[in-house]
Amino acid sequence: MAFNPLEQKGIPVDDQLRSWSELNVEPYDKEAVDPYTRTRVILMNGIEVESIMFSHQFARHTDNLDLKRKLAMGRRVDQQQQKAVNGLNPGDQTPLETTLGYEQVAVDLTAWLARHEPDPQLKMALDFALLEDFDHLYRYANLYELLYGGRAAAITDHLTEVMPGRPTFVEHRHPYDDVRPHYETHTVDPLSRMHVMTIVAGEQQTMNFYMNHGAEWVEPIARGLYAEIAMIEEQHVTHYESLLDPLDSWIANWVFHEYNEVYLYWSMLQNETDKRIKAIWELHLNMEIGQLAVACDAMRHYEGRDPAELLPPSLPETPVTFEPNKDYVRELLAATIDLRTDGIQYVELDELPEDHRYFTYQKTVNAGGAPSEMVIDAARDNGGEYRDETEGAHPIADLRPRTETTS
Amino acid sequence: MPILTPTAATGARTVPAEMTYVNPANLMPPDEAKAFLADTGLNGPFVADLLSDMLAHERCGAQLYRSLAQRTNNPMLRKQYEHFGTETTEHVEVLENLIDQLGGDPNYVSPAARATTKAGTGLLESTFLLAGSIDLMTQELVMLDAVLVAEAKDHANWGCLAALAEGLPEGDVQDAFTNAVNRVLPQEDEHFGWAAETRCKMISAQATSRAAQVVGEAAETVVSRVKKWLD
Repeated sequence: MAFNPLEQKGIPVDDQLRSWSELNVEPYDKEAVDPYTRTRVILMNGIEVESIMFSHQFARHTDNLDLKRKLAMGRRVDQQQQKAVNGLNPGDQTPLETTLGYEQVAVDLTAWLARHEPDPQLKMALDFALLEDFDHLYRYANLYELLYGGRAAAITDHLTEVMPGRPTFVEHRHPYDDVRPHYETHTVDPLSRMHVMTIVAGEQQTMNFYMNHGAEWVEPIARGLYAEIAMIEEQHVTHYESLLDPLDSWIANWVFHEYNEVYLYWSMLQNETDKRIKAIWELHLNMEIGQLAVACDAMRHYEGRDPAELLPPSLPETPVTFEPNKDYVRELLAATIDLRTDGIQYVELDELPEDHRYFTYQKTVNAGGAPSEMVIDAARDNGGEYRDETEGAHPIADLRPRTETTS
Repeated sequence: MPILTPTAATGARTVPAEMTYVNPANLMPPDEAKAFLADTGLNGPFVADLLSDMLAHERCGAQLYRSLAQRTNNPMLRKQYEHFGTETTEHVEVLENLIDQLGGDPNYVSPAARATTKAGTGLLESTFLLAGSIDLMTQELVMLDAVLVAEAKDHANWGCLAALAEGLPEGDVQDAFTNAVNRVLPQEDEHFGWAAETRCKMISAQATSRAAQVVGEAAETVVSRVKKWLD
């Protein structure tokens, strides 16, 4: 049934504040949690963080008291929502285990978005970075086994394969080659806009997480791996944020942010298996509808625009869904493993001239070796690298293990 | 009802540029652009872009007036903004019909229209994003400034279209242009003239009248009191 958030009442923003006890939620059990409940928690935390940081940026570009107060109020509630969502992560889930969850999000969210993306160029952008995040899961899985003897499948539950993607050390590109063309805001499919906003928020949160947790390690190999992959996440944020059309106004962006949050909480609600967490998604959905109403009122008042002119008549019928994407990833690996970028174009590696800045950049950052390779070398020296190849041998012969798999 | 915000749902189409990617489903094909006004002696693709640009400007204008009519504290200005807003919305319709009559697509958003939309958005934002550091009398002037700047370009656009129409050979194309110009240009004369004159009057009144200063201060006090009641 069509769900139009503009026709829903939701919870008025003034009624949305919660007490500390309500925010101090009971975490999920990391041994029992559905891996895709964990990924939903990680994604929605990132969505709230993006909403908060956008609101702060907007607030820094206006001294309109009414707008600043409305932004401050909505942001306070967003902060509470973020605490309630992020607080679902248990304290006994280590940062590395959470990292494996982040990379499972990166793989299965990106793949799902790519599979449902109507715009071929945006799908290409998703596919391109997907193979890179897929590789990160493999590198961190090996770090997990190396440091703790842990098996990544205990986190991923075999729903996402663990094996090399586009190798992390080849992902390092000159910054110029991460900038992409953007969609056109008048002509973009509303679903595409939400896909891009969602992936920007997700990748940005991953970047922030690695930026903050990378220095918490004693082991040099862990510090190095986090530093290296954090730099790829910076590339990914650059890559994805380029896809957004800069033509939209501050208020339009506010409305789009709120609308996307409505879509995502509605999506999480459709698929959640944990009743207690499902109730949080439902509550937050109704809160976001209230927040969307405030942004829409601001659009009517300050921009003289009816939000209904700008927004689709209803949410997409298909919710954003976490589910296995194994065949999709494998096909992509087989077809695009050697893809690189040259300016705003995607090209095959052998199309890059020898003096391309890609090679200069590679030589600079990989001088002395890449931690992402060192962790695999160390794993091999320690009894064999970790993989979880549930669907058979790796589709690229060169990326098959030198020693037996140990999943 | 004219389209004030072209979107994928209304059938908006555009062309790619260095940094603009367009979904093939929403692409204005080069052949279609070339076919526009073919055999008329006009540079069809350029005129298509120009009319789209003009349309974007009228759409921004309609939004500007809708916004200002809600936010001005001056009943006289509100009435005029509402009146001009209605006429500007009609101008959107006139342009859509003109483009349609000429065989074009009113849902086409040209690169020039994008630039104009950016300018229009900035002009509108200038009337409210800094409202906290601008006194009430100046806020009214800032709104009027926005109208003047918008109407200056609008007036120039229609004047230019009138000149273009005059140079066309007699026939359906010239008639279409001329009819649109005849309907809109007199109103644009009035809009631009009113904005320039009213702005000048407001500036003169404030510059030369001690009473205006007192009224302004009193208005500030009243608004401040009302805001405190509402807090």
